Order: sequence, then C-alpha cells, then structure tokens
Amino acid sequence: MAWNESGNGKNPWDNGRGNDSPPDLDKIVREWQQRINSMFGGPKKPAGNGDNQGGGAGGPLVALILIVVAGAWAFTGFYTVDNAERGISLRFGSYAGTTQPGLRWHVPWPIEEVLIVNVAGINKYNQQTRMLTADENIVEVDLVVQYLRSDPVALLFNVRDADGTLNDVSESAIREVIGQYSMDFVLLEGRAQIAQETKAVIQSALDEYGAGIVVTTVNLQDVNFPGQVEAAVQDAIKAREDKERLSFEAQSYANDIVPRARGEAARRLLDAEGYKEQVIADADGETSRFSQLLTEYEKAPKVTRDRLYIEAMESVYSNSSKVLLDAEGSGNMLYLPVDQLIKARGGAGASDGNPGNSGRSNTGGGGSVPQRSGASGSNQDSRSRGSR
Amino acid sequence: MNIFKPSFVLVAILVLFVFSMSVFTVDERELAIKFQFGEIVQSDFASGLHFKTPFVNNVEKYPSRILTLNNPQELFLTKEKKNLYVDFFVKWRIVDIDDYYNATQGDELVAAQRLLEQVKDGIRTEFAKRTVPEVVTAERRELMSDMLNDVKKNAKTLGIEVVDVRVKRLEFSDDVSDSVYRRMRQERARVASELRAEGSESAEQIRADAERQRTVLLAEAYRDAEILRGEGDAKAADIYARAYSKNPEFYAFYRSIAAYRRSLGNDSDLLVIDADSEFLRYLNQSGKK
Repeated sequence: MAWNESGNGKNPWDNGRGNDSPPDLDKIVREWQQRINSMFGGPKKPAGNGDNQGGGAGGPLVALILIVVAGAWAFTGFYTVDNAERGISLRFGSYAGTTQPGLRWHVPWPIEEVLIVNVAGINKYNQQTRMLTADENIVEVDLVVQYLRSDPVALLFNVRDADGTLNDVSESAIREVIGQYSMDFVLLEGRAQIAQETKAVIQSALDEYGAGIVVTTVNLQDVNFPGQVEAAVQDAIKAREDKERLSFEAQSYANDIVPRARGEAARRLLDAEGYKEQVIADADGETSRFSQLLTEYEKAPKVTRDRLYIEAMESVYSNSSKVLLDAEGSGNMLYLPVDQLIKARGGAGASDGNPGNSGRSNTGGGGSVPQRSGASGSNQDSRSRGSR
Repeated sequence: MNIFKPSFVLVAILVLFVFSMSVFTVDERELAIKFQFGEIVQSDFASGLHFKTPFVNNVEKYPSRILTLNNPQELFLTKEKKNLYVDFFVKWRIVDIDDYYNATQGDELVAAQRLLEQVKDGIRTEFAKRTVPEVVTAERRELMSDMLNDVKKNAKTLGIEVVDVRVKRLEFSDDVSDSVYRRMRQERARVASELRAEGSESAEQIRADAERQRTVLLAEAYRDAEILRGEGDAKAADIYARAYSKNPEFYAFYRSIAAYRRSLGNDSDLLVIDADSEFLRYLNQSGKK
C-alpha cells in the first residue's frame, strides 16, 4: 500500500511526529481528504503526488469552506444596543420590531438589518443670527435648542434628515416668533415668552412632519442690538447714567445751600435778639443813671445844676481855642481872621468861615463846630433818635 | 453522491444567482416601480420582499420620506418695492409614484426644480401683495398658508405632496439694512438726548427749589430780625421816655451839657465867645449880677 511505504512503517498520522524532516503539507491535506472520503464511503483511490483529485476528493474541502463562510456570515448577525439606544430591525426592508438594550442577534443581511438610534441623549442646536422685529428693527439672537429622538421608528421612516429638519425648523421658528414683537419687548421682558412660543412652533412643525423628535428646551442665550448700532446703544446707556449723575449733583448742591441758609437765618435772628437786648439794657442803664441823678438833683436843684454846668463848660473851654469878645463895649467892626486863627491852631476840621462877625453870639458857642463822629456812632444815632 | 462536489456547489451558486435576480426588497423608506421593458407594470408595493422576472422586469426605487428642498437667498419685492432676501425650505414627499415618474422620469433634481419654480412663484405673488411689516409679522403665517394652497394644488400634478414651506431667513438687502441701522442709531441717540435732557431738567428743578428755599429762609430771617430790632428800639424808647418825662427840663439840660462836652471840647475847635456868657459872669466882677 502506498501509505504504508511513506514512512518508517508507521501509520500516516505519525508522519509528522516521527519524521526529522518538516512535514509535507500537500501530502497531509490529501491524506485528510482521503480519510474523510473513506468516512463517507467514497471509493478508495490511491493517493499519489500530482494525481488528479477529481470531484470526490475536492468535496470535503468545499464543505469546509462553506461551513467557515456560513459561520462568518452568521457571526455578522450579532450586535449590541446601548442603554440609551434602540435597535430598529428591518426584514427585507420591512419594519420588524424594535429591540431593547443588550447583546442581540439578527438574521444577517440581506435578510435582516438593524439600525441603531440613540433615543435618550440630548442633542443641541445652536444658532446666532440677525433677524427682523415687528417694528422693522434688527436684533441679534443667540438661540439654543435641545432635543431628543423620542420615536426612532418615526425618525427613521418619516423624514429623510431628521437633525437637519430640526435645524431648519428652529431657524424658521425663531424668526417667525421674533417677527411678532417689537424690539423693546424682545430685548427686555420678552425672552422667556419668546422661547416658549418658539418651542411650541418647532414642536408643532416636527409633529406635523412626524419626525419623531421632542424638543426639550429652547433658550435665548443672548438677545442684543446688532454690532452696527452698538456705539449708539452704549451712548444711550451712558446717557442714563448721566441723567442720574446730574440729578445727584443738583441734590448735593441743594443739600449744601439750604442748611447753610438756615444757619445764616438763625444767625441773623440771634444778632437781632442780641441787638434788642443790648438796646434795652443800654436804655435801662442810661435811664437808671439819669433817674438816680434826678433824685439827687431834686434835693438841691440850683446847686446841682450850677455844678454840672460849670464842670461841663470847663471841660469844653479848656480844650478848644477861644476868642473872647467884649461886644457891648464897641459898636465898631471887629476884624476877626477866623481862618488864620484856625490855621495857626493847626485844626483839621472844616469851617464855613465867619469873617467879620459883629454882634452878639449866643451862649454856648459861636463859630462853626466841626462834627466829630464818636466811637459809637450808630449807637449814638439811635440813642438820640430814641431820646427825642 | 457527494453533495459537496464542487460541481454541485457551482450549480447551487448558479441557482442562488438566478434567484437573487428574481427578488427585490422594498425598504420602509422607499417607493418602488416595477417596469417591463420601460413600461410601468406595478407601483403599489408594500415594504418587504417581492418577485420579478429577471431581465424582463427592472425595478426603480424612490424615497418615500419627507424630503427637504433648501433654496438659498433670493430677492423678492414687497408691495412698497422693498427688496427682501428670502431663504426658504420646502418639505415635500412623493405620494403618487406614477404621476411622479411620468412628470419627472424619477429624477429628484428635476422634481425639485419644478417644485421650486412653483413655490417661488407663489412666494413672489404673496410678497408683492404685502408690505414689509406685514410680511415679517403677524401675517406671516397667513402669507405662508395662502401660498401653500396654490402650491399644493400645482404639486399634485407632479405626484408630490407639499407638506410645508417655511421661511428660514428674511433679511433686507444691504442698502436697506444700512438705513435700518441708521434709523436704529438715531433712535438710540434720541433716547440718549431725551434722557440727558430729563436729567438736566430735574437737576435745574432741584437747584432752583433749593435756591428758592434759601431766599425764603433769609428773607424771613431778615423780617424777623427787623421785627426784633424794632421791638428792642420801641422798648428802649419807652424806657427813655418814661424816665426822662419825670423832669423834661432837667433832662434837656443834662443831655445838652453832655452833648457840649462831646462835640465842642476838641482841640481843633475855635470858639468865639461873648464875654457876657453865663460861664464868664464872674470874669469881670465877683459879685452877684
């Protein structure tokens, strides 16, 4: 037998082990084939190098290949679905069910196919653009839309590009809503309301399309004047501050002068009160002095009178320049150079000159009397006013 | 016979091949038409596996989902001849596959073009009827639904259902935008100057009021001070009068000599005295006169 001759007399399976030389692969394959062949009852044919193997000998190899291929093909049917995902399985393109999270197997393509959709993750769409308000003004809006894919079946089968659809619809919706309101409303109080309405508009459009998307939040992150107007806006803000500042400054001014005026007023009143007290006290003093003197005078009128008179005259005459006239004696003209006399005396006062005065001059003084203001001028005035 | 003979396997493969040529799948997302030598044979296929005759039938597939047609910026004129840039999109889908094929030979681009023309026409008409505020604001939905009705009717001939048309962007042309910005700047400037004027006004009022208060305070103080002074003067006068009335003649004497002392007793005075005066009566003689 051929196989008996191949080695050292041992059976073909020991070829590899007992041999010193590397095993002959071709031979091994052929021998395996024949073994399988013989197991299936195929005709025993001599195995020779280069022999035509024919259909029978090739059969097992093909079977092997087929098994491997089938296994690989079956292996492609495994897939995993995450917790946040769902699997949509299609059989021959037709919807066959939704699979839950876990390790799954489907009949491999082309019989079945599974599409995986993330249904729990929140997705975000952000857009920052300009748009028109109802009063034809332009505002800049920064919009954020958050959504999740709630219905994977609808999402896959109804709309070709669900995410793109959401983007388009969001852009359209925010413009539609902002277009309803005036710029002031949009910039100031309206943000929350506008976000709400936009969300409603987006959701209703998506529902109309059956897109299987649910909008979770719509947020106007920023609403602002466009850049071209920025300078003027800043100035308006500054103007508000200026207005406050002007009022503030005026208030400080008011807080300064009114208390001062009050102080001044109080001082004037106090001055007047002081004056009043002073005047009355002066009057009391003077009249008391007079009354006391009067009492004494009435005890000895002639003597007191003479005394007072002479004392006064003494003091008057002692200090001034005098010219004594003996008028009864002469009826002649008397030459009296008054101004020279005054000059000789060195007086500083003015004189109205009385040259050539003949005749009597009254008691108590002729000439001119310069008016000298005393130390307490105004007091004297009022006193003399009061005493008349 | 060995069923794994290569020849048998080859035959099996051949059979499979022929089989694959006689079936086709229709996905949930597709519409299919079966043709026979170019003619439509059947078009109402549900999703799943279907059969056809190889080489005799061929199958074309079209999307069944809602498709989006995005038209970038284009100018439309409003009633007041103002230009608006409009960026809109159309949501449409094939509903009658036969009509669709007949109208467009199944070319999506051709369909999109035809649809676009109709929609643009609709928009043009509706825009020309309205002013800018009307387009931008409340009437926007009406505008869209008016236009949609016409478009929907026309699209039917294409086997298309127009699900929605929406405006994505609505903008002025550049020069109009510039004038809008100018107007907005002016408006802000007006607000600014109004604020500043209000500030000045209230500042003036505060100042004027403060000054008024000051004037009043001082005037009243002056009045009251004068009253006090008057009271003082009056009281003093009363005191003087009462005291001096006890002996008016003596008072006249007393006060006069005090006056003489003060006014006449100065160095620079020159008195011309008659020797007959009472003060000098003892000058010439010592006895009683």
